[in-house]
Amino acid sequence: MARYGMVMNVKTCLGCKACMAACSQWNQTPFWAEEGGKWRTRVTELEDGKFPEVKRKFFPTICMHCENAGCQSVCPTGATFTNKDGIVLIDYDLCLGCGYCIEACPYDARYEYEKEDLEKDEFYFGEDARHHQVHVDKCTFCVDRLEEGMEPSCAATCVGHARIFGDLDDPNSEIAKLVNSGEAKPLGEYLATKPKVYYIK
Amino acid sequence: MDLVQQHTWGWFIAIYLFFGGLGGATMALGILGELRFNKGKWFGIGVTVLGMAILSFGLLFLVLDLIDPFRFLLAFWIKGIGHSWIARGMVVIMGAYIFGVLYMVAAFFESTTFKKWMGYLAMFCGFGVTTYTGLLLNANVGIPFWHTPALPVLFTVSAFSTGCAILMWVLAGKNDHESEHFFHAIESFDIFLISLELLILFAYFDFARGGNLAVVKSAHLLLGNPIFTIGFLIFGLIMPLILEAYASMKENSRGLAVFASGLVLLGGFLLRYLIVWAGVFQYPHGLAG
Repeated sequence: MARYGMVMNVKTCLGCKACMAACSQWNQTPFWAEEGGKWRTRVTELEDGKFPEVKRKFFPTICMHCENAGCQSVCPTGATFTNKDGIVLIDYDLCLGCGYCIEACPYDARYEYEKEDLEKDEFYFGEDARHHQVHVDKCTFCVDRLEEGMEPSCAATCVGHARIFGDLDDPNSEIAKLVNSGEAKPLGEYLATKPKVYYIK
Repeated sequence: MDLVQQHTWGWFIAIYLFFGGLGGATMALGILGELRFNKGKWFGIGVTVLGMAILSFGLLFLVLDLIDPFRFLLAFWIKGIGHSWIARGMVVIMGAYIFGVLYMVAAFFESTTFKKWMGYLAMFCGFGVTTYTGLLLNANVGIPFWHTPALPVLFTVSAFSTGCAILMWVLAGKNDHESEHFFHAIESFDIFLISLELLILFAYFDFARGGNLAVVKSAHLLLGNPIFTIGFLIFGLIMPLILEAYASMKENSRGLAVFASGLVLLGGFLLRYLIVWAGVFQYPHGLAG
């Protein structure tokens, strides 16, 4: 039993968006959707500072896999649950599709996998299509890859080592050291959601 | 810090919130009226059917808002009842239907004691439905304008005001003494509720002044929208309050009160639609959709 988490190092994120590509290929997220696609992970370009002392920053985000997850709290059917490794997951068979969890997530981590997305998934991936029913979708820390001993696809593909994945309960892991030293901090601590994704800014 | 207006919930949820609250309040107030004013079994049965029909009409929109409406049966799988207001709401709604039907059966067979008990339980569930519509929005931590204790209170008071409006419509065509008595009781109660709603709204916006950026943004969206200021505040609250207060002091003024009730219903719907529309996320990072 682990307590998986991720550290995002905003200082080393290049903004190449390889993580988004890797994630969307592995998890078949609707990159084809209108208005820029639907993603489990995103890299947003930000301006930091004021002219002339201004620079561009790239800000990666995913589901924060909160210990006190608002999405899980509002889910009426229990479709959203936390597994033994602290990963917040969705049981697609139980997902009512009410959108309550999307509204409750303060990190904008969820989206609807709709009928047209299922059709496109089958069109692009054929027999390998992984989504067969409408549901709300989000990052799973690539739980299927973890079972095979691989890192989540976004962390595995990150060029700048901006995504550091590991067990927060293992004091010798790189992620635990960064979190325990206070160098990496969660977003929106005031929300009391206790995220397991931390940021070095 | 990014402020983003929510877009997952829209018209359908607003329609559901309105008719859900209206149906529950109609049922609760109607049964209370029947028990208190001895309006006869057909009145009790009639208002219960009306309340359940309104609630069902609202539920239809909730189902249509699902990603796939054919998955609605999963709503009965209420494993999240310990923490989710949709699951709790399902139980309260089922209670309203079950006790509503039992109350009607008891009323039909004129079983006085059983009717009273079932009536009280149906009233409790009807009251629960009106309150839960506010608690449903209130549970969203990501939208601070909704995440305030004032919202469920506002929605409950507003729902009972719209319930009064519907009952005034029902009673307007009846000329017997009890109906007239009940009509004026409901009219007075509605005047009280609208006044209370205005007070709660004032407090709601006063809280918002000291709130975070998202709350202030939501409040600005509403106050800058003429549908809220003119449509809801003036035509949906202040005008019916004045008209009902005037009608309550005049003889043969039911027509005026009925007209004011129409405005109350319009206001009740606009309030829910606009509160849903003005939901603003405050993402703790630089991310906009």
